Amino acid sequence: MGNDRILIVDDNPTNLKLAYVILESAGYEISTAINAAEVLALEGEPPAMIMMDIQLPDLDGHELTRRLRRDPRYKNVRIVALTAYAMKGDREKALDAGCDDYITKPINIELLLATVERLLTRA
Amino acid sequence: MDTQIELFRNLFDTAPDAIVIVNRYGVITLINAQTEKLFKYSREELVGQPIERLIPERYRSKHPKHRAGFFADPRVRGMGSNLELYGLRKDGSEFPVEISLSPLETDGELLVSSAIRDLTGRRRAEDKFRGLLESAPDAMVIVNKDGRIMLVNVQTEKLFGYTREELVGQWVELLMPDRFRRAHPGFRGGYFIEPRVRSMGSGLQLFGLRKDGSEFPIEISLSPLETEDGILVSSAIRDTTERRRLEQKMQEASRLKSEFLANMSHELRTPLNAIIGFNELVCRGKAGPISERQQEFLTDSLNSARHLLQLINDILDLSKVEAGKMDFRPQPVELERLVGEVRDVLRGLAATKHIRIEIDVEASISPVVVDPARVKQILYNFLSNAIKFTNDGGSIVVRIRGADPTMFRIDVEDTGIGIAPENIDKLFIEFQQLDGGRAKRYAGTGLGLALTKRIVHGHRGHVEVKSTLGTGSTFSAILPRKFEVEELHGE
Repeated sequence: MGNDRILIVDDNPTNLKLAYVILESAGYEISTAINAAEVLALEGEPPAMIMMDIQLPDLDGHELTRRLRRDPRYKNVRIVALTAYAMKGDREKALDAGCDDYITKPINIELLLATVERLLTRA
Repeated sequence: MDTQIELFRNLFDTAPDAIVIVNRYGVITLINAQTEKLFKYSREELVGQPIERLIPERYRSKHPKHRAGFFADPRVRGMGSNLELYGLRKDGSEFPVEISLSPLETDGELLVSSAIRDLTGRRRAEDKFRGLLESAPDAMVIVNKDGRIMLVNVQTEKLFGYTREELVGQWVELLMPDRFRRAHPGFRGGYFIEPRVRSMGSGLQLFGLRKDGSEFPIEISLSPLETEDGILVSSAIRDTTERRRLEQKMQEASRLKSEFLANMSHELRTPLNAIIGFNELVCRGKAGPISERQQEFLTDSLNSARHLLQLINDILDLSKVEAGKMDFRPQPVELERLVGEVRDVLRGLAATKHIRIEIDVEASISPVVVDPARVKQILYNFLSNAIKFTNDGGSIVVRIRGADPTMFRIDVEDTGIGIAPENIDKLFIEFQQLDGGRAKRYAGTGLGLALTKRIVHGHRGHVEVKSTLGTGSTFSAILPRKFEVEELHGE
């Protein structure tokens, strides 16, 4: 606990940067990854939260979430799905996979910050 | 006695058939008036002459033998049943006839009386019927009350792979797959109780069975056929294989289009995420101080980006509705609160134009069971349109009332520019913003009302518009008070 680090996973560098800037300027410590492989290869203490794009090039975000949840270190990590795809059942799919919340792109800055704050204080 | 003879002569002469009385040697002994008319001979020309005079050349040689056969076993019967018989007129022309024979005994001499009926009229009607039957684009199968096939056309032979001879006299059940055969005689019986033109098994998928055992989808229309032999059923059978293939192809094309739109919307939203996000950050001074003029330009840029986003969202929604993938989550809803929320979102826009929005919701109507997000979308579209097209200082009323025990109506009434009657139909079509200068001043995606209509239809409701040019418009959505999602389409 006391760890406020947020890992942002997105293969689109501009969108990655945007989330980075928003969350960093709100005072959070940020690390980044551009695909699922990078996330799975992480060692050491996990972040407090993962902000994850669902459409990753190597593994979709749902599958990545499922794999992370099997690792005891990631049991209590907050995972938020981010997607520009808003089709029927997308939210359910994300929650079923083990995500804590679901946010659609384009990012609404207030909503993003409110979600992060809510999930991290609950942790 | 004389009067009786007179009576018989009259009867004889006024009989509708030609009656020719012949002795066992084939000599004509008596004819009636109808015979003169039919064969165009006078009485004097025929009496005492051989009967063969009235028979076409090609039948003459065999006739004496048939006659001998009759005299060997004299009884009432039709001549040459199943054969086509012809009479020969004095002028050499032939005509189709039907002949019945009966023995006649006078003064110990056995004679034969033949009643000859001209079939020209009937034959002509039959030919016409047969022509119609053969030229029909559908397979025509005519069946009697017992379910036996009486007549088929060439299309039937082609479609089912049987020859005419193989079909006539068979049970009609021969032409259907095994699984339909058991129930069919019952349906057939039902049809004869109330015979009228109708399609068979509407709502059911019917199949035909070919001689080679293969099946094919069909459509059947039935009509009763009144004949001398009682009521027959004429069934027109159409092979729907090709049509079904086309329908499937069209559905597939429509699905692909919707999928394409959904994917495209996604691709378009991804870069917009960065455009809107960074613009907002700069606009809020998160990247350092900016001048008022920079702020103004960035706000314009941001508004355009948001408009583009709205457009993309609407396209996505439309494609979702079309693809049957739009989510409807009905739940009990307090309409008063819902309308209030939508008004709050649009309050700023209304305030800049000094437009007053009045809300009037029938107290007893709530709760209704609808999808709150979708009904909000309907209200938002109606209300933002009303604000857009109402001049400064105008007013808008949102009224919600029960329409009948099962439906309620949302009316959004404005004092706006109104719509010309000829343009009302265009309102709910995608990208059909009304032009002619006036509407051009009002920004919009051109999708809002098209989407609204589909959402309303998705709720099993309908939309209405009333408008007077220059006075104002009322847009209405009539929705069920209790919307239940049918899990028929999609997924």
